[in-house]
Amino acid sequence: MFCRNQTTRATVARGSALEMEIRRGKFRKSLFLDKSQDSDIQKKIDHEIRMRDGACKLLAACSQRDQALEAAKSLQTCSTRIMAYMSELQRMKEAQVMQNVPRRASDAGPMDDRLPCKGKVAISDLRIPLMWKDTEYFKNKGELHRCAVFCLLQLGGEIFDTDMVIVDRTLTDICFDNTIIFNEAGPGFELRVELYSCCSEDDYSAGSTPRKLASKLSSSLGRSAGKKLRAAMEPGPCSPVSNGGGAPLLLPVPSVPGPKYHLLAHTTLSLSHVQDSFRTHDLTISGNEECSYWLPLYGSMCCRLAAQPHCMTQQVMSGCLKVKQCGGDPQSWTKVYAILKGTSLFCYHRQEDVEANVEPAFTIGINKETRIRAEKDPHSKVQNICISNQYGGEEVTHTLTTESREDTHRWMEAFWQHFYDMSKWRQCCDDLMKIQLPSPRKPTPVTPKQGSLYHEMVIESSDDLSSSVSDILARRMRELELRSQLGTSPTWMSVFEEDSTKGSGFPRQCSSRLSGLSPCTPHRVSRSPMSAHRCPQPGLLSSDASLTSDSDSHCSTSPCSHHQGWPEPSSNFSLSSSSPSRLRPRTLSLDAKLSTLRGRGYGGKGTFQCACQPPPSSLLAPLPVSSRSPQSQRSTQTTLSCSSSTSSNSSSNSEGSHSPESSEGVPFSRPSPARRSLRNIRARLDPRNWLQSQV
Amino acid sequence: MSFVPGQPVTAVVERIEIQKLRHENNLILGFSIGGGIDQDPGQNPYSEDKADKGIYVTRITPKGPADDAGLKVGDKIMQVNGWDMTMVTHDQARKKLTKKREDVVRLLVTRKALEKVVKQSMTTYPGPQCSGMTN
Repeated sequence: MFCRNQTTRATVARGSALEMEIRRGKFRKSLFLDKSQDSDIQKKIDHEIRMRDGACKLLAACSQRDQALEAAKSLQTCSTRIMAYMSELQRMKEAQVMQNVPRRASDAGPMDDRLPCKGKVAISDLRIPLMWKDTEYFKNKGELHRCAVFCLLQLGGEIFDTDMVIVDRTLTDICFDNTIIFNEAGPGFELRVELYSCCSEDDYSAGSTPRKLASKLSSSLGRSAGKKLRAAMEPGPCSPVSNGGGAPLLLPVPSVPGPKYHLLAHTTLSLSHVQDSFRTHDLTISGNEECSYWLPLYGSMCCRLAAQPHCMTQQVMSGCLKVKQCGGDPQSWTKVYAILKGTSLFCYHRQEDVEANVEPAFTIGINKETRIRAEKDPHSKVQNICISNQYGGEEVTHTLTTESREDTHRWMEAFWQHFYDMSKWRQCCDDLMKIQLPSPRKPTPVTPKQGSLYHEMVIESSDDLSSSVSDILARRMRELELRSQLGTSPTWMSVFEEDSTKGSGFPRQCSSRLSGLSPCTPHRVSRSPMSAHRCPQPGLLSSDASLTSDSDSHCSTSPCSHHQGWPEPSSNFSLSSSSPSRLRPRTLSLDAKLSTLRGRGYGGKGTFQCACQPPPSSLLAPLPVSSRSPQSQRSTQTTLSCSSSTSSNSSSNSEGSHSPESSEGVPFSRPSPARRSLRNIRARLDPRNWLQSQV
Repeated sequence: MSFVPGQPVTAVVERIEIQKLRHENNLILGFSIGGGIDQDPGQNPYSEDKADKGIYVTRITPKGPADDAGLKVGDKIMQVNGWDMTMVTHDQARKKLTKKREDVVRLLVTRKALEKVVKQSMTTYPGPQCSGMTN
């Protein structure tokens, strides 16, 4: 009746010898069982303890802030894991003790409780928006209040942490790119997400001073407040562990000098939050503005929580069947090899087709709307399984039959289990949700910081930087001049080539001109700021038109726009300016170039006006061109511009000449200020303009 | 300085603080801007990506406040006093710069030269450290 090595339920009189014997037997058995399961957990605990010791040592030894933060994070994770394992161990021991107590028959529940299948739960693309006040931007100029944050995700016994992110006021969201996958989660899972943060001041020394302050604070507070603080400093949500037989007594967190993470916010997700797309969830924020680890959280968290129950991904049942469609003749049974998986019953002609990835012969849908019943076949004695589906109003029934009664029973059992799983996993069984496995190779981040709108590197603007930048640029220019034969030009040269990128009416030659003109960089560079604010030039303006004075003609106040892009008379201007400046030594500072060339440019302007008419060759001669191609390009430009002297180009000549700014009242003589203002007016009305405003 | 719409923009920026100059009841900064989402980006001579509708500095008055602060022609303005300048109309940008109540504007500007310098200096640094504890 009673067998030592089989668990049975029976009412045993309390205090009877049998009961004691059973108890003893069970104890021995449970001890043996305990070891196998216990040892598993015990091993995990030992592993985590070792990790934690390592983290403590690292924390004590490291000097760099980043290392300290990472080590503290690992410490936090290990501590939480240890707490979780300890509590699980405790629970197991308690369960065993409960099991050993003999039960009455009335207490016995139904033996064959169905257990829903487990599944994979994946959470990815965590994003927590922040809500900075605009005063934050300029509170402490140059000094950023930084916090290091990371998330701990716990489901069942599995605890994972995300990477650490440094947050300061330039970030608008905290983004965690990790995808965390929990295997073996039941449908009633509770995924607890916790956000830990630690203040990371620049002048923090991983030493005793802040701790002294912290301890002073906590000791000077009242009992309840201090308890609350201490509880806030406690890691993890696990219940305190009581010493259950044999488990080592562990203090929650060994006090180690160094950065300490505090719980900033938490939330719990469950099956109802699972969806195949992003969703926003509310966060419960702990802590307030006074805490050092405070971050202005918006109060919600966005993430993608997906679940793949095993009934959708794995084969529930497979075997040989004979299928007949209802309505067909009674003897037309089709022999198939059927696989029950996900939302369908796949029927293959042969078993080998499954491995060969051949399409199934047909598929019977198995979903929430399907009705399955067993009925006795009128022709034979076996029980058939009838599967009915509604296909758009019509009911289609498939009848299955198997070799033996046991097979039928097994199939029915499989169907029942499948339906149970589907009812438990609800929306996850409608369609298979995609879970992206994190790639094994962590791509090296291009930028060391994460997820901010602007990757900022604060460079204190000083003369040194500008001169060093000019140095580098000048060096590059020199290199380019040497390589000018190849006609290559770096893309950044276009910054200084602005006037040669566009040509009014000569778009074809633009690109070639750019590359061709690049070698003559000093002139270009100097020219660029001035021609930048070119005035507009409508096409048909006569050069002889007299316009109003400077006041409304300078580009500054009126929306200075230009017609059909930046005109190409830059080349013309360069001709005039380059002739006097040919022998000018190359300066490294852009500002210096600017000022010297502008002065020269003005001087050369007067001559330029009439220089437009003479043949281009004379203008080209003094130019120190290093390659043939630009010369030819320029000559073409000049020719064209000169030939259409009464057309736009001539106006653009003068336009180019008085391109230097005038808004600030820097006085210089412009040959045709009146022309300019009229052009401005026309340009303003032209819809194809590119506005410029003086501020 | 090219970007993909909808994706976060990364740029190496420089902080420039310009003190406005008071000139006859006007506060002037001493530079001109061009661009904006309502403007034709193809006509921007300074942008690397001709679809970039950002705000660019087109002219600097020599010895003006902007010049003293270190603003350069061709700079793309990303932020003005915290306000974003990458997706604004031309007029909005002008307004953010010319607020009568503000004496100082703090800009975040970017230019190709900065990125070059940073890239050159970054090649000598060791790579980022990764934690061995996560799983």
